[in-house]
Amino acid sequence: MKKYTIKRILQLIPILFAITFLSYGMMRIAGSDVVTQKMENTGVVVSEATLDAAREQLGLDKPFLTQYFVWLGKLLRGDMGNSYVSGFSVFDTFISKLPATLLLTVTSILLTVIISIPLGILAAVKQNTVIDYIIRFCSFVGNSLPNFFVSLLLMYFLAIKIRIFPVIAKDVSLKSVAMPAITLAIAMSAKYLRQVRATVLDELDKDYVVGARARGVKFSVTLWKSIMKASLVTIITLLMLSIGNLLGGTAIVESIFMWDGVGKMAVDAISMRDYPIIQAYVMWMAIIYVLVNLLTDLSYRFLDPRIRLGGEKQ
Amino acid sequence: MSVKNLDEAPEKKSEILVKMGKKEQCGRQKESAVLKNGKSRDNENRVTVRVQRIKKSHIKQKLIFFSVLAACLVILAIFADHLCPYDPYAQDLSSALQAPSFQHPMGTDTYGRDMLSRVISGARASIFSTFILVAAISIFGTIVGLCCGYFGGILDSVMMRISDVCLAFPGLVFAMAIAAILGGGIQNAILALAVISWPKYSRIARSQTLALKNEPYIHAVILAGDSSVQILVRHVLPNMIGPVLVTAMLDIGTMMMELAGLSFLGLGAQIPMAEWGSMMSSGRSMIQTYPWVVLSPGIAIFVSVVIFNLLGDTVRDYLDPKNGRLQ
Amino acid sequence: MKTKKILAIALAAGMTMGLATVPTMAEEKKTFVFGDTTFNAENEEADINPQNTYAGWACIRYGVGETLFRYSDTMEIEPWIAKEYENVDDLTWKITLNDGVVFSNGRVCDGEAVKECLEDLVANHERAAGDLCIDTIEADGNVVTIKTKEPKPALINYLSDPYGCIIDVQAGITDNGIVIGTGPYVATDLVTDDHLTLVKNENYWNGDVNVDEITVRTISDGDTLAFALQAGEINAAYGMAYASYPLFENDDFTFSSTATSRAFYAWMNFESPVTSDPAVRKAIAMGIDKDSFVSVLLNGYGYPAVGAFPDTFSFGGQNLTTESYDPDGAKQVLEDAGWVDSDGDGIREKDGQKLVIRWLTYPSRQELPLLAESAQATLKDIGMDVQVNCTSDNNTIRKDPTLWDVYASAMVTAPTGDPQYFFTSCALDESVSNNGHYHSDKLEELADEMETEFDIDKRAELGIQMQQTVLDDNAYVFCSHLRMSMIMQSNVTGLVAHPCDYYELTADLDIN
Repeated sequence: MKKYTIKRILQLIPILFAITFLSYGMMRIAGSDVVTQKMENTGVVVSEATLDAAREQLGLDKPFLTQYFVWLGKLLRGDMGNSYVSGFSVFDTFISKLPATLLLTVTSILLTVIISIPLGILAAVKQNTVIDYIIRFCSFVGNSLPNFFVSLLLMYFLAIKIRIFPVIAKDVSLKSVAMPAITLAIAMSAKYLRQVRATVLDELDKDYVVGARARGVKFSVTLWKSIMKASLVTIITLLMLSIGNLLGGTAIVESIFMWDGVGKMAVDAISMRDYPIIQAYVMWMAIIYVLVNLLTDLSYRFLDPRIRLGGEKQ
Repeated sequence: MSVKNLDEAPEKKSEILVKMGKKEQCGRQKESAVLKNGKSRDNENRVTVRVQRIKKSHIKQKLIFFSVLAACLVILAIFADHLCPYDPYAQDLSSALQAPSFQHPMGTDTYGRDMLSRVISGARASIFSTFILVAAISIFGTIVGLCCGYFGGILDSVMMRISDVCLAFPGLVFAMAIAAILGGGIQNAILALAVISWPKYSRIARSQTLALKNEPYIHAVILAGDSSVQILVRHVLPNMIGPVLVTAMLDIGTMMMELAGLSFLGLGAQIPMAEWGSMMSSGRSMIQTYPWVVLSPGIAIFVSVVIFNLLGDTVRDYLDPKNGRLQ
Repeated sequence: MKTKKILAIALAAGMTMGLATVPTMAEEKKTFVFGDTTFNAENEEADINPQNTYAGWACIRYGVGETLFRYSDTMEIEPWIAKEYENVDDLTWKITLNDGVVFSNGRVCDGEAVKECLEDLVANHERAAGDLCIDTIEADGNVVTIKTKEPKPALINYLSDPYGCIIDVQAGITDNGIVIGTGPYVATDLVTDDHLTLVKNENYWNGDVNVDEITVRTISDGDTLAFALQAGEINAAYGMAYASYPLFENDDFTFSSTATSRAFYAWMNFESPVTSDPAVRKAIAMGIDKDSFVSVLLNGYGYPAVGAFPDTFSFGGQNLTTESYDPDGAKQVLEDAGWVDSDGDGIREKDGQKLVIRWLTYPSRQELPLLAESAQATLKDIGMDVQVNCTSDNNTIRKDPTLWDVYASAMVTAPTGDPQYFFTSCALDESVSNNGHYHSDKLEELADEMETEFDIDKRAELGIQMQQTVLDDNAYVFCSHLRMSMIMQSNVTGLVAHPCDYYELTADLDIN
């Protein structure tokens, strides 16, 4: 296990390098450099010489790779430059908006768990009954609705017709997070419900279930004691992996519900071609995603006795 | 639909027959599947055989049914120009925002354009873009996966590391960044989604190829002197195309939604192009006042995604009955 | 099994209830939430520092800052922080401040404070420096004497521009762009593109303030804004989508509308191979259906425009003539100029050059995409292929004349109530925003004349001549003027739309 962990962490290093390199490279390709951008914003015509001087000062006349390492060095010190539009530090902006996105992510995952696990199990146990069909039908519908469509409908029904949740997030609170979280949870639950159902069905097929039944163990006991335990590994893995999808998926929902997180920040930045912000967003999201994946992998190994014990014996 | 609870001998036999018939596509998981399928579980399995036979024979019918539906959509998209009752781009401000009526079954939008025509015309943009996208990523991904799996070596490590990096970026984030660099436009949205989606296919293709590579019959054709290309195309590809096809079919719905999502954010189709995502985006402020402007394209997306998802599920069941329960 | 199920349901229900409970507010405190679509970095209003691009609009709009003079409802100069001015000679202005004006932090706003502020302004704000041309400022008690480098007849008007908000320079500007002004509200928190929190200025020098706390929410999305107002989460809204107006045309809501000098107009690029052709410009002017645009797409909330200024001004559109909507005439004009459709694709061409118009515009003013799409259709009828580029990046793109042919924008053409501003900002050779490089000898001459003309009637006459010159060249096509509306809950009073679009939240604001 230890050996494996170290191996995985070492494997991470080239990936992280690639991510930073790509994020940097992409934004450099993207268009005008910082100097032109800044000068253009002042609206005065500036001579080439002034531009060159400014470039030299910022090190932009150096070869691409040198620039990249300079940038990387700054990055490691938490300096990601300033936004073209607002002029604020990108790093501070990003950090100040991250908690909102994390809260949204965590809440929607919790909601997903609350919805998808009981319903998934129910559908599996009642396989091919009316209940199963209804649940699967709902999951299918949820799976086929685009996020933004769900947002609009939810906003209309929950905030205007029933008025239980606020339309716009006033602050980072549980009440404000409800609508965007529900929106995200609907699509995710629809997806995971099917997988929970499949996993539980798989377990139901196993010999020990038949054995337990033959020994006269009550089915509900088998279900909660054994089947749940066995299914949990898969379910947890799925949920952890969904964090990655969520990190990206929140963007649309955040901007519709005016949730002041990194997703909305990115959408705004994209529309204004605020490259330093986009760069920070892409890079940090990728890094978080990779780290979460690593954690998932490790926890999966830890949770699954076959892999854990097998690994330690060696 | 499920075909796995089989206690009765006749059922089992036909099941095996079906499997043998499709041995080529299904590859190697067959034996275990058959063993599992033979197992009995609980009293639910005593649900009469008759019911199950009907369900089973439904798969093929379902496949035909959904294929026909999907074909209808595609035909609609191909002949969009001829099927539109009005010019989808012709504005007539004097008849703006009319409720659905006999002349305009889906009403008109802000500019007095016929919504039905725009939805039909949008089918072309949305469905074709999705097809192009899915075709591109599945073909490219499969070729990469095949080559990596078969030849191994440096090619394999390099391509797999590249795909690791592509996978390292959460889907939509990367797509948004690419769209931001390239600017709006449906081509750029397709490109953006393609870059993040191909590794999935190369992974599947690679693992299948790796498994097949050591099969005796491959060794046999190598000994018979076939070239690598011949082996890949004639012997490996046909045996691994099933899972790729299933993934591609299931991807159509997802990709359609993601493309629409990018358009909704203004990163995909540009005005005045009739595309469902951007139509919804421009009409979204009217959900209360003139709901048909938003709901028409919304329902169109929903219906097409449902059809393609159902088709994908059915194709998967058809090719691999064991997975029937997943749907 | 059953207990778990019940537990799950109870949990879900409990969560819903928990989320739904409304926090009870203290009764005596009056709070007001204002939803605004334009308070964001995209509109150059990232914060409320008046010396930062157009952020001064936010500073004055939300009642944080005040200017020396203000505009009346008829756009005439009225005293505000200053009580009077005297034009000593062509170059010297003597401004006397009101007694007892204090900044919200308690500092007295005297001549010295004004001097510091204006000196900072011309040092930091390029547009202000150009407008004001200040040579020296002297302060003596409550009297400020300004000497300009050249005659500036409109100096007082320019000082009433939002950038002229008097702020306490010594108190400085916080990192997030909060300044100390003399207005009825004090900014306590500001997050760009999200919100601005204001509290009552306890030291307000000019009367009582009714509302204790105000939140200005940036809601860039039109339907979220409509939903929020319907749900009562905001008390009033600025920038509501026209399509949502019917939702509020009932007893629960009040509209405050007024004609403004904000014009939606198209700039022609004189560097472009197509729009440098006078025939093409003329055809564009004849090919835009202004009346339908206003009556249908703007729900009647606007006025078709002739010139840069609305009819309410003495130098308004009633004095001018220009092309009217005439698709057949436009076709003829193009035909005569040699633009013919020879390959039958519906798009005209000339010398191998297709009549493609790259129409640049931006989405933050909701009328602009509507205008773009409607012009796209009407111009297509006369054989032009209009390619719309609707992007928030417009301010960068328009600086490169190779990237666009027509730039449609929404600008307040007479923010100072004076005709000169429009021309100096975008139509003259030295104008910062003359990105299409329009040049007219006649216009330059008239502008020079205006520069030194102090007589208001004569300035108006010059303004008319200058507009006519621009229209004759079809250098700009003015499509409509905005009828600006704020929609509020019916218990809100004192929130009145002002023709210059500067004053929104004032001390009069109250909730009953």
